[in-house]
Amino acid sequence: MKKLLIAASLAVMAAALPAKADVLENVKKKGVLVVGVKADYKPFGFRDPSGAIVGIEPDLAADVAKRLGVKLELVPVVSSNRIEFLQQGKIDLMIATMSDKPERRKVTLAIDPQYYSDSVNILLSKKAKVGSWEDLKGKVLCGTSGAWYNKEVSAKYGAEVKAFDGSEKPLFALKGGECIGYLYDQTFIQGKLLDSEWTADYAMPLPGVMEAPWILAVAPGEEAFAKFMTDTTIDWMKTGFIVQEEKKWGIEPTDYSKRMHEKYKGS
Amino acid sequence: MSEVRVTAAPEGRPLAVLLPFVPPAPSRWRWPRLRFVHLVGLVGLSLVVGGGAFAQAGSARLSALEVIWKWSPLLLSGFGFNILMSVLAMALGTAAGLVLGLLQIGENRALRTFAWSATQFFRNAPWLVLLFFAMFMIPFQFRVFGYTVPFPDWVKAVIGFSLPVMANMSEIVRGAVASLPSGQWEAAESLAFSRRQTLWMIILPQCVKRMLPPWMNLYSLITMATVQASIVGVTEMLTLTAQVHAAEGGRPDLLAPLYGFAMLCFFVYCYPIERFTLYLERRFQLNQ
Repeated sequence: MKKLLIAASLAVMAAALPAKADVLENVKKKGVLVVGVKADYKPFGFRDPSGAIVGIEPDLAADVAKRLGVKLELVPVVSSNRIEFLQQGKIDLMIATMSDKPERRKVTLAIDPQYYSDSVNILLSKKAKVGSWEDLKGKVLCGTSGAWYNKEVSAKYGAEVKAFDGSEKPLFALKGGECIGYLYDQTFIQGKLLDSEWTADYAMPLPGVMEAPWILAVAPGEEAFAKFMTDTTIDWMKTGFIVQEEKKWGIEPTDYSKRMHEKYKGS
Repeated sequence: MSEVRVTAAPEGRPLAVLLPFVPPAPSRWRWPRLRFVHLVGLVGLSLVVGGGAFAQAGSARLSALEVIWKWSPLLLSGFGFNILMSVLAMALGTAAGLVLGLLQIGENRALRTFAWSATQFFRNAPWLVLLFFAMFMIPFQFRVFGYTVPFPDWVKAVIGFSLPVMANMSEIVRGAVASLPSGQWEAAESLAFSRRQTLWMIILPQCVKRMLPPWMNLYSLITMATVQASIVGVTEMLTLTAQVHAAEGGRPDLLAPLYGFAMLCFFVYCYPIERFTLYLERRFQLNQ
């Protein structure tokens, strides 16, 4: 049985590997574009009570499908399997909050310009009188231990960062008044600010610093599709589509998307 | 002194004699009576589930019960998917396990060794490892005669779960056959039954009831193991629970109620199976 299974799976693998044509052609032929998105990252990709995946990234995916004139199929991915799905050909395109890292560019075909950018920001108590990053000197911030920017922020702006495990404990400490704000990924803070629990007493008044761009990716070697996606991304920036999407899903447009919109608006 | 005098016999009762032993009739299957332990468990669970409602009363936030109610269609559809996976894995694994088990007691030495080693290998491998093995070895689609046959994740997960079922089933078959008194074989032989006839007409029919309780036990275990599929990205109940938690803003007070709900679903499904298994075990033990 075991041998049979292994033999069968090997035979099947051998049969499955070759058949690699141009993805763009295949998508048009099948009439379906399969996009891998997150389903646990509000508001970029999350479930609604009917089970459908909604959010900014599903909307971007829908726009790509519309441009191609095909139907859209969304596949929920997580960080550990998204690259593999792309390489296998299980998804044609990945729009899944993936930060731009050199090692990821080696195994996927990243689309430039980067479609979005996360940055570092602070969920600040409204009582704290902080108008700029420089005002943080000598203030106490809560942070997540292990985040690479903790040290940099304290060195650059002179704030003291009290680090806790995970993201729930520092938030709890913030509520308890142990610090004036929580230093963390801007997208996470934006997600928190969708919840009435936080909007009453907390806000994100400062501009994000230390941008960490996110990339769209297609399978390696799919140059034609990559070209199409580059054009699409530039068009999104030109029309301000991403800024509109941010507003639609209730988050403050990031500096990056506004800047890119300005940059491409006239072109 | 030849007369036996009964002095202390109570009135109207016959002399004490040893009556032939009649095993008590097995009680008919009925729903388990709720005992105090169950009450504690259920109250505890409902507290876990409902606790959030008291802890966070106020503002526009939904209480934990409302959140679960709102998402229950989605979560329950995920649970149905777990059941589907468990049933399919059990069917596949049982069929393969029967074959492997029969090979284990067969006469062909090479096949016997092969079946034994396959059984031992899959029985002693962690289920999660077998699941990963199935997920990454099997492609997501393959071509048969020019047609592309998709092979979704959950099918791969079913195959992954059926491997340990197969190995355990193989041992259940071997164990059941070995547990029958050797007199059965000898008697059949003396009646000129061939080996195959003995196995199919005499031994295996007697094995069925011995195999049933451990088989159901195995089913219960595999049902609870299907949540491991969430680790490899199958959209089943646990995956959905995590996603629902994220969609509700990741509130920490929802964690226990949401996972408590998943636990409750599995408990409600598996507990009757476990009780029924116990009942069968008791019944078969007496009639052996």
